Amino acid sequence: MIIDTAATPPLKLEDLELVTRHRGWVGAVWRSRNGRIGMIVVALVVVAGILGLAGVTPYGPAAQDPNAVLKGVSLSHLFGTDQFGRDVFSGAMQGLGVSLEIAALSVLIAGVIGSLGGIIAGFLGKWTSAVIMRATDMLFAIPTVLFALAIVTALGPSIVDSSIAIGVGWAPIFVRVVRSPVLAMRESDFVKAGRVLGYSRWRLLFHHILPNVTGVIAVQTSLALAWAILAEASLSFLGLGPPPPIASLGEMVSNSSSLASIAWWTLAGPSLVIVVAVIGFNFLGDGLRDASDPRTRTR
Amino acid sequence: MSALLAVVRRTFSTLVTLWGVSVIIFIVLRLLPGNAVSAAMGVSEGLLTPGQIAALNRYYGVGQPAVQQYLSWLHALVTGNLGISLVSREAVSTLIGTALPVTLELALFSMIIGVAIGVGFGMWSALHPGRWQDDIGQAISVIGLAIPVFILGTVLVVFMSTHFHYFPSSKPFAGVLTNPWLNFQQIIFPALVLSLGIGAAILRTTRAAVLEVSSLNFARTALGKGVSRRAFVWRHLFLNALTAVTTMSGIQLGYLLGGTVIIEQIFILPGMGRLLITSISNRDFPVVQSTVLIFAAGFVIVNMLVDLCYTLIDPRTRKQ
Repeated sequence: MIIDTAATPPLKLEDLELVTRHRGWVGAVWRSRNGRIGMIVVALVVVAGILGLAGVTPYGPAAQDPNAVLKGVSLSHLFGTDQFGRDVFSGAMQGLGVSLEIAALSVLIAGVIGSLGGIIAGFLGKWTSAVIMRATDMLFAIPTVLFALAIVTALGPSIVDSSIAIGVGWAPIFVRVVRSPVLAMRESDFVKAGRVLGYSRWRLLFHHILPNVTGVIAVQTSLALAWAILAEASLSFLGLGPPPPIASLGEMVSNSSSLASIAWWTLAGPSLVIVVAVIGFNFLGDGLRDASDPRTRTR
Repeated sequence: MSALLAVVRRTFSTLVTLWGVSVIIFIVLRLLPGNAVSAAMGVSEGLLTPGQIAALNRYYGVGQPAVQQYLSWLHALVTGNLGISLVSREAVSTLIGTALPVTLELALFSMIIGVAIGVGFGMWSALHPGRWQDDIGQAISVIGLAIPVFILGTVLVVFMSTHFHYFPSSKPFAGVLTNPWLNFQQIIFPALVLSLGIGAAILRTTRAAVLEVSSLNFARTALGKGVSRRAFVWRHLFLNALTAVTTMSGIQLGYLLGGTVIIEQIFILPGMGRLLITSISNRDFPVVQSTVLIFAAGFVIVNMLVDLCYTLIDPRTRKQ
C-alpha cells in the first residue's frame, strides 16, 4: 500500500518487495516489531473489554464480599479487592469495556467528520478548503480536554455525550492528517488521467483518492483510540464520566487515591489497564504506519 | 518591512481565530439543548440580588434571538466584562485574576522542565543511536506518553504522603511574592508530573530532527572539515533541529493546559483548572464560559508567538 504522491522519493528494491509480497494488512503489520506487540496487546484488551461488557468477569464487578475486604493480589483476586470487598480485576474489566465503547464511538465520530473534511478540503476548490481549514484552526485552538469538558457541561455526562465530546475535539486532527496527502495526490498523474477521462469529482474522490488515504486514516484511527481512552479516563477521573452504576477506569483511580497508601493494588490495577490499553493502540498505530509507508519502517 | 507585514498578518489571523473560538464556545454552551444559562440562572435565583440578576439577564441577552445574544456577549467581552459568578457573586474577572497567575506559574515551570528533559535526553539519544543511551531516551518517551497525568499525579501524591508526610492540602497556597520557598515546594511536584508528558513528546521530536539533520550532506561535510564535536553538536545539529522542537513545544502547550486542569485538582492548586472544574460542578456558567475562552486565548496567542519565533530561529523564513 503506497501513497502515490509527487513527493515520494524513488522506492528501493526491498521496499517494493515488501509492497508486492505483503499478505494483506495483518501480514504487513505483523512484520514490524511494534505492530506485532500492538496487535497482541490490542487483541487481549479488546477481548477483556468485551467480556467485561458482557458480564463475563471472575466476580460481579459490583458484588461486595464482606469476608474479602482489602485483600491483596492473589490468584483468586488478580488485582486484589477494595474496601467493600469488590474484585478490582472484575471492575477494571467492566471499566475497560465502557472505555472501549466510548473510545470506539468517539473515534467513529472524529474519523468520519474529520476524514470527510480533510478529503474535501484537500480536493475541492480554494474557498471550500479555506473555510474548512479556518474552522479546523478555530476548533484546534481549544485544547481537546477543555473542549470535551465544555461539551460535557452542556450535554451532561453519559456514554453518548462523552463520545461526542471526545470525538468532536479530535476531528480537527483527522482533517489535518488526511488533507495533506489528498492535496499532493490531486496533482498526481493517475488523478489527472482520471480527470482527462471525464470522471466526475465524486468518482475521483471516493474511488481514486479515498482508497489511497485509508493507510493514513487507519494509523490515525489507532492513535486516536489510544488518545480517546486517555481522554475518557481523564474525564471520569474528574467526575465527569458516565454516571454510576457504570464503572469507569478513571473513577476507579480517583477513588483509590485515599486508599492506595494501605492498598496499593486498588490504584495499580485500573492504572495498569489504562496504560496497557494506551500503549497497545499506540504500538498498533506504529505498526500500521510502518505497513502503509515503507519509508518510515522501523527495523 | 516584510517582517512587519508578516507580524500584522499573523496577528490578524489570530484575532479571527479567537473570534471563531468565541463562536464555538457560544454554540457549545448556549445553543446546545439544555441551555446552560437558563438552567443555571434558575438555580441561582435565591443567591443573587435582583440587581445582579437583571445585570446577568442583560449580559446574556435572555429572551433575545441567538444572534442578538451572541453580539451582546461579544460586546461585553470586548469591553472586558466577563460577567458575574452565580455562586460566589464576584465578578468573573476577579476570580480569573487570582487563578490565572497560579496556572501561568505551573505552566511555565512545567514547560521549562519539559523542554530541558526533552531536548537534553533527545540530543543524548540521537547522538548515540541504537546504544544504551538511546534506550533510556526511548524508555522515557514511552513512559511519558503512555502514563496519563492523573495516574502519575495520584501515584506521586500517594507515595509522598506515605513516605514523606507531604499532603497537598496541608497549607493554603502561597503566592510567589509572599512566600517564595513554600510556593516553590507547592508548585514543583505538579510541574514535574506535567513536564514528563511534554518532555516525552519533545524528546521524540528532538531525536527525530537531530537524526534527520545528521544524515544530511552538510553534517558530513562539517565533520569532514574538522569542526569540533561541541560546535558540530550545538551549531550544526541543534540549531537545525530547533524549528521542529519549537513547533512541538507550541503544540504541547495545548496538552499542558488540559493537563493543568487535572493536576490542579490532584494537588489542590487554586488555578484556572480548579476554577473550571468547580464551576462546572456548580453549573456556574459565566465562569465556565470565560475560563474556557481564556485557556483557548492563551493557546492561540502562544502559538502565534511560536510562529513569529521562526523568523528569529530560521533565517530561511526571513527571505520572503
